[in-house]
Amino acid sequence: MLPNRSRLSVLVFLLPPLLLYGIAVLFPILQSLFLSFFSWNGISDMEFVGLANYVRMLTADDIFWRSFFNALGYLAICLVLQLGGALLVASLLTSMRRGRELIKTLYLLPAVISTVAIAFLFVRIYSIEPVGLLNQLLHWIGLGALERPWLSDINTVLAAVSAPEGWRFTGLYMLIIYAALLSVPQELEEAARLDGASRWQLFTKIRFPHIMPVWITTTIMATTYGLRGFDIPYLMTNGGPGQSSELLTTYMYKTAFTSTDFGYASTIAVFIVIECLVAVGLILFVLKRKADA
Amino acid sequence: MTAPAAPVTRPVPASAPPASQPPSRRRRKPSLHGTLSRVIIALIVIVQVYPLAWLFITSLRTELDFATGDPFALPKAITFENYARAFETGNLGMNILNSFIVTMGANLLIVLLGMMAAYALQVLGFRGSRIVRSIFLIGIIVPVQIALVPLFIDYASINLLDTYPSMIIPLAGFALPMSIYLFSSFFEYIPRETYEAASLDGAGPYRIFGLITLPLSVNTVVTVVLVNSIFIWNDFIFANTFVLSEELKTIPLGLQNYIGAMGKTDWTATFAAVCVTITPLLLVFLVLNKAMIQGLESGASKG
Repeated sequence: MLPNRSRLSVLVFLLPPLLLYGIAVLFPILQSLFLSFFSWNGISDMEFVGLANYVRMLTADDIFWRSFFNALGYLAICLVLQLGGALLVASLLTSMRRGRELIKTLYLLPAVISTVAIAFLFVRIYSIEPVGLLNQLLHWIGLGALERPWLSDINTVLAAVSAPEGWRFTGLYMLIIYAALLSVPQELEEAARLDGASRWQLFTKIRFPHIMPVWITTTIMATTYGLRGFDIPYLMTNGGPGQSSELLTTYMYKTAFTSTDFGYASTIAVFIVIECLVAVGLILFVLKRKADA
Repeated sequence: MTAPAAPVTRPVPASAPPASQPPSRRRRKPSLHGTLSRVIIALIVIVQVYPLAWLFITSLRTELDFATGDPFALPKAITFENYARAFETGNLGMNILNSFIVTMGANLLIVLLGMMAAYALQVLGFRGSRIVRSIFLIGIIVPVQIALVPLFIDYASINLLDTYPSMIIPLAGFALPMSIYLFSSFFEYIPRETYEAASLDGAGPYRIFGLITLPLSVNTVVTVVLVNSIFIWNDFIFANTFVLSEELKTIPLGLQNYIGAMGKTDWTATFAAVCVTITPLLLVFLVLNKAMIQGLESGASKG
């Protein structure tokens, strides 16, 4: 602590940031919680309904459950592409001698592009008329039978809207994991190698345990970002066809701003927050225990 | 265009010192593992980069070529008409200006307020600072969607809908925790003696902030600004929720105007517009990619 500080100076520095944070983040969270107990369309009087919104959401709303499971599928695809891809590339990159900086830059490139641009791009990549990149590629490698309009086929649309999100951020996670891998002590790896450890053993016994704290952080980041995923599904399909690519976030958005059912939308928003907190808790529980074991 | 491979300063795991490896395999012929990993990396990099290259190539195609041709083929003729149509259809200039204003405004708040909070928490210190820290931590986990309905209602009641601040406030608010975190971990490295010496000379907390902490933090400021600019420049959800009028639309909203307005989408012009709008950030990224990469690495790996 600084010797000459006064209580006033602490307040001078702390209050402005707390004010902004309160207005933008804390107060809206409380407000959502409050609104979730009301029925309100923004115009008529607010009506207190107690837990009715929650009961409706959990027991009577098929679209909610559909969106919930879609969101889990979306999350799973994002996690595999982002974390799996990141770990693979980061590990391979450590064994390369030249061109690492260039590869890092190229790999990160999609993260700089806006989601609207990415949505446009992938609409064309998935397109069948005129033939897009994906269908043309399948045709060339002899898998022409798989050619389809990826975004209007209810069996593929969820995967099709998830993949761009995974594609977009895998570079970011790769950077983080790569930096962690570089910090694995040389002596440790050398010793293991002299003892005849295979590459796979080296990875599972030395490297991965060493980067575990960073792995936990990246898993939490990727999961919370995956659960709040919105832009790309909203822009590409708006949840369609039917509800086959509806996520909780897009459903909540439509409930709020298309059906102007502010109370019920807040209930869904509260659920999304709880879902994020539970996910973070689960990750910490599972991975920490594994790390300690 | 991009920075050449930097001299490796950190230890390189696989290029082990020759003494510990049987040198014959490693030196004379590339190992199977090495070749395989290079091929995999090359493939993945192509997947990451080719779609963007394709975007650019398509923006130079004629409409007929786009509608009928093989998507992988190079354009039969290069045309810049798409760009002309892109500028006719939308307000690209205005969109870019708006994105610039919002990015600058939000960054100013994020840097200034983030630095102030970190200074209070890390340097001044006070009882209960741990609680304040954990309150800020909430903002990293909580999804932004929670704020949409409440802010929409609040903005409507104080006539703030459809203004620059309606976008800047939540963008800055949700980015603040990470900024506080980055500044805090930087302030930790400033030796206490620096502050104590200044205090003995009679400098109070305000002068120390202005004369010591602020000037020393330039690198962290660059990191914070670069990382946040990516997200703010590309923000879609807040802009889409709070902004309605054409004059305030940022790039992501402006781009939407190109779709379906006249029933049929002019894809080549749309792609030209996309190319124009991603260029500013892309240039910044390619010029400053080292600083940006470092920022992204440190931003998460310490969290």
